[in-house]
Amino acid sequence: MKVLVIEDEQDLSDSICTYLSNEQFVCERSFDFNTALEKISLYDYACIVLDVNLPGGSGLDILNELKKQNKMEGVLIVSARNSLDDKVFALKAGADDYLTKPFHLPELAARVAAIIRRKSFEGKNQIQINELTLDLSEKIVRINSTEIDLTRKEYELLLYFISNKNRVIAKNAIAEHLWGDNMDVAGSYDFIYTHIKNLRKKLIQAGAADYIKSIYGMGYKFTA
Amino acid sequence: MKLFVKYNRINLLATIIIFLFASLAFYLALRYILMRQVDEDLRIEQHEIETYVKEHNSLPELIPVKDQKITYTVTQEFFKRRKFSTTELYDSLEHEKDPYRVLLFDIKANGKLFAVTVAKSLERTDVLIHSILLISFSTILLILAATFIINRILLKRLWKPFYSALNVLKSFKLDKSRPLEFPLTNIDEFAFMNQTLRTTTSQAMKDYSLLKEFTENASHEMQTPLAIIRSKLDLFIQNENLSEDQSRTMQSAYLAVEKLTRLNQSLLLLAKIENNQYAETTTVDIKQKIGEKTEAFHELWQSQDISVNTSLAAATVNMNKELADILLNNLLSNATRHNYSGGFIQIELRSDQLKITNSSRQSQLDQEHLFSRFYKQTNSRQQNGLGLSIIKQICDASDFSINYSFGDGKHSFIISWV
Repeated sequence: MKVLVIEDEQDLSDSICTYLSNEQFVCERSFDFNTALEKISLYDYACIVLDVNLPGGSGLDILNELKKQNKMEGVLIVSARNSLDDKVFALKAGADDYLTKPFHLPELAARVAAIIRRKSFEGKNQIQINELTLDLSEKIVRINSTEIDLTRKEYELLLYFISNKNRVIAKNAIAEHLWGDNMDVAGSYDFIYTHIKNLRKKLIQAGAADYIKSIYGMGYKFTA
Repeated sequence: MKLFVKYNRINLLATIIIFLFASLAFYLALRYILMRQVDEDLRIEQHEIETYVKEHNSLPELIPVKDQKITYTVTQEFFKRRKFSTTELYDSLEHEKDPYRVLLFDIKANGKLFAVTVAKSLERTDVLIHSILLISFSTILLILAATFIINRILLKRLWKPFYSALNVLKSFKLDKSRPLEFPLTNIDEFAFMNQTLRTTTSQAMKDYSLLKEFTENASHEMQTPLAIIRSKLDLFIQNENLSEDQSRTMQSAYLAVEKLTRLNQSLLLLAKIENNQYAETTTVDIKQKIGEKTEAFHELWQSQDISVNTSLAAATVNMNKELADILLNNLLSNATRHNYSGGFIQIELRSDQLKITNSSRQSQLDQEHLFSRFYKQTNSRQQNGLGLSIIKQICDASDFSINYSFGDGKHSFIISWV
């Protein structure tokens, strides 16, 4: 699957592509308005990561162009503007999601994965990793077809980990994903630890492998 | 003290003193002149007596005349000169003592030496002096009263442009983008003052808006480098060969970027509120919002063993929806962050106010600087000191009032919207 990253800040674009590229995704880049327009009319992408402020034009115009050409690509807007109005405006214009800079790469990856899952027409709203099955529409997790009882936060956490499979996720990124950036409780990462401990325990007790590893207290990694 | 009260006071005092001195001088002068007049009359009387004695060599007969007395007494000695004096004499006609002006002189008649006294009543003179003084005193009083009233009215009218300018200035707010309108005046001094005020305030507003713009632009410009740093950190920790030491270093870098990001977001938020970018308001159901927030915070409170006590009455306010979210988040985050394990938070919602109380080991906050930017009671590394000033700014923007109280280890913030 191809992902197009339209972002004029080359350093940021580099990071995004390096992080997203794996056995599943191929990342293409464009740094300005015109080459972006060219690319979207020539190729089809699974998802487009789109910056709003571009040299040569607005990212929202690219969004309009996509809609005009009846393209089905999912679009994730990344922008430095964080007001509700900007978000609502972008979503109304047809974007699938909106992420405010500065963001954590795992967050971006999780959003891109979610958009692609939503857009894919395979019909099965399920993620399967070995003995682990996530039913996304029911929000249920099964291990070897046995349903396990997870809290909402634990479910979100597991999905987040799976969207960032084999990547180290910093504790800060997990905190921000679970609590959003409105809850200003910086520094209290203890209860993330509690959530992860509980999630691990439930998975292992239900017969799953120990997928979640702690990395020197700096973050966690879901290995599969 | 008002300017014209002070002016009137000084003015009146000076006038009264001057008038008192003038009246005294007037009285003395008047008395002196009238006395001279009486003395002149007495001298004429003396002259008549002397003429009579020269012609008849005898003293004239004494005829009782009103207000005049003449006596002859045989004497041995000569007077060197005639003598005037003022004394009280008994008036047989009116049966009372009256002031008299007396002239004493000697004269030879029939070969004998007589001492003659001619006395004239001063009663009429006194009456004259009294009535003249009465008239002048009443005139003075009348003038004083008139000056006082005229000054009052005139000064009030003269200073009117000054007070209207003051009123205009009182309503002046830096963040209101409208320049001040001063009333027109044809008095040069006031026109000059208004002109100066107009230029100064519009310059201040210009500087202020430049500063706001700067803050907003600076914050915006910082977003991208911050995004790059974060993304590079996220990439860097993917390295399989990181040592524990390096990981710890990365963790510190993460925390610092986190702090910087929050600081930047807070500054941006403040600038946006000041720039009226959250002017759109709707009716917000505060009770429902608090319900959502307490649910979101529930886990956090549980993990920190903080008990929460809520008493919620139905309440709606008119404010920006986004700001309502931020306000409640900040209030509850504060109440949580400054709490301790085993402490409590009390949320009390009435139809007109919201009161959030929390236990804390911190002492009372400084009422005066509480809401200033970058105010920190303790030198805490976790906070940027903008939380309360954001709360205050949101309250100001929504026309709410916010109060802080402390007692018995409990900190309370009370927001009222009525």
